[in-house]
Amino acid sequence: MHLQLQYFLLLGAALFCIGIYGLITSRNAVRVLMSIELLLNAVNINLMAFSNFLDPVTIKGQVFTVFVVTVAAAEAAVGLAIVLTIYRNRDTVDMEEFNLLKW
Amino acid sequence: MNQLFLQTVWLIPCYPLIGAVLSALWFPGITRLTGPRPAGYVNAILTLIAFLHGILALSATWNQPPLQILIPWLKVAGLELTIPLEISSVTIGVTVLVTGLNLIAQIFAIGYMEMDWGWARFYSMLGIFEAGMCGLALCNSLFFSYMILEVLTLGTYLLIGLWFNQSLVITGARDAFLTKRVGDLILLMGVVALLPLAGTWNFTELATWAKTATIDPTVATLLSLALIAGPMGKCAQFPLHLWLDEAMEGPMPGTILRNTVVVSTGAWVLIKLQPIIALSPVGVAAIIFVGAVTAVGASLIAIAQIDTKRSLSYSVSAYMGLVFIAVGTEQTETALTLLFTYAFAMSLLVMSVGNIIWNNITQDLTQLGGLWSRRPISGMAFVVGAVALVAVPPFGCFWSMLKMCEHLWNDGNWLLLVVLVVNGLTAFSLTREFSLIFGGKSRTAMTARSPELHWPFILPMVILMGFTLHVPLMLIQWQLLPAWANINIVVAGLLIASTAIGFGSGVFVYLNDNFAKPVRLGSQAIQDFFAYDLYTAQLYRVSIVFVVDVVSKTIFWIDRFLVDGLVNFVGLAAVFSGQSLKYNVSGQTQFYALTILVGVAGLILLLTLPILSRLSLIVSG
Repeated sequence: MHLQLQYFLLLGAALFCIGIYGLITSRNAVRVLMSIELLLNAVNINLMAFSNFLDPVTIKGQVFTVFVVTVAAAEAAVGLAIVLTIYRNRDTVDMEEFNLLKW
Repeated sequence: MNQLFLQTVWLIPCYPLIGAVLSALWFPGITRLTGPRPAGYVNAILTLIAFLHGILALSATWNQPPLQILIPWLKVAGLELTIPLEISSVTIGVTVLVTGLNLIAQIFAIGYMEMDWGWARFYSMLGIFEAGMCGLALCNSLFFSYMILEVLTLGTYLLIGLWFNQSLVITGARDAFLTKRVGDLILLMGVVALLPLAGTWNFTELATWAKTATIDPTVATLLSLALIAGPMGKCAQFPLHLWLDEAMEGPMPGTILRNTVVVSTGAWVLIKLQPIIALSPVGVAAIIFVGAVTAVGASLIAIAQIDTKRSLSYSVSAYMGLVFIAVGTEQTETALTLLFTYAFAMSLLVMSVGNIIWNNITQDLTQLGGLWSRRPISGMAFVVGAVALVAVPPFGCFWSMLKMCEHLWNDGNWLLLVVLVVNGLTAFSLTREFSLIFGGKSRTAMTARSPELHWPFILPMVILMGFTLHVPLMLIQWQLLPAWANINIVVAGLLIASTAIGFGSGVFVYLNDNFAKPVRLGSQAIQDFFAYDLYTAQLYRVSIVFVVDVVSKTIFWIDRFLVDGLVNFVGLAAVFSGQSLKYNVSGQTQFYALTILVGVAGLILLLTLPILSRLSLIVSG
């Protein structure tokens, strides 16, 4: 079996879907952040795949990936800080408890 | 000099109008301290001026051809509305009659309206009436006559409603306005329909047109029926007669005018419209039918009343019915003469009765009695009014009725019988009233002490009595009386016989102590039927009033629930959707994420639908 671009893309898409599923269904706020990491990683896979197959000379995709990883780290840090702040106030990380801003 | 008065004859309706406006100065809310009496004096003086102007103009126009004065009013595309005034001895004579009767009624009112604060309003209304009637007499255009009739309808409403703290006054004024209004509105249909046919509203030109007009019989019928409807309401003819009965709730001096001249305004227009109505045999039949039924019916009702004023008011309807018959049988001149002679007699009767009512308080005929010895002047006035109203030679109405009956006799018309019957019944009714008021002995404390009244009551009544007695002389002067040789002895005999039977049986029943009082007919039902005015009020209530009521309630319901409901439903739907859709804002971040996802997925699906469908085609081969 020869590795093709489509397989990577499908893997990325699958990972993205799993991330989305986790993002929407998780009740734990930390797991939501984890799902976001999954999404970003799915994106990274796409970027790496495109960079490999379509742009093997200048590999701009890999540069993008480096940026995404960096930003994802920063975002996770901020995200965890937010979760911690909420936890301090409300003593819970249950997403279903955070529904104060409704109608 | 007299020529000047003739040229300025259009001022006659203006004097009372000025009086009507000036009266407003003495409304209790404006002149707070010194009372409203000057309103009456000012109006009486202005009426006197109008009367004198009329007399002088009359002497100038005597034996002169009619004069036309045109006053431009409105000119719009295709329609030129000019007020034509006809200055002839007849029209000025009518203004003299109107202003004269008004003067007398206004002097009477100075006495009658003592102890009343409403002089300003009352005299103002009388002024409007007088102006309206003089204007109607002079005006030679159907359109402007209609306008004046409407003003008079409004005036009637306000005048009857003078003492508006009484509930019966309110209902009476309401009925008077609505009933007359209905007639006027149908008249308006006729007026509007006439213009495209004749091209003019000028009475003289209309008469010329009618001579040679060839119009569709159906159109002619509808037209003449519409033109009859207005005067029918104005003259209190069946079935639009209930208002006159209820109008007796108004003040007495107003009643004098209404019973004599105001009801005649309708007849005046009818007389002028006679050539057009004559275009349709159905119209002529209708006018005769209405007149005959009213004349007989109302004179029967008059006999069954116990209210003095109402008893007279039904005689008014009956005599207007006679005028209708006269117009229907093409005797317009006789109709005018009858109106003239009738106006004097009836106003004298009403004034005499007003004198009695003023200090005996009651209007109930069963409560009055035995006043002849103590109220000789009022009694005399009633007698003169009565003999002048029914056919007793040589008094006024005899000649007009004789003329009418001779005409009917020559035509071999059954209406002769109607006139004779009405004459007899009215004679009986007046005798009954006279006997119950003046005859016999005092029945109750109401008449135990009843002095004759002071000068403002007696003076106008006596002057009017003098005029009434002079009516035959006036007729001679104007050559309206037939020569002795031309009198049909049989007809005259029949008329006198019917009067004699009426008077005689009245005297026999009511001045005869052996005849049990109150008089009972064999059947109580018949007695009640006439006493309650053929149950007209109930008839209105179950027919027209009921239908209009049901229809308006239905329309109200439809408007309230269907029309309003539809609009309100739109609002409610918006409110409901807002209220329920807000729950989409769940406050759950994850739900928002899901919404975004669904949205994006949906959008992608939509955009890729063409590609996908092609794909499925490829897959399925």
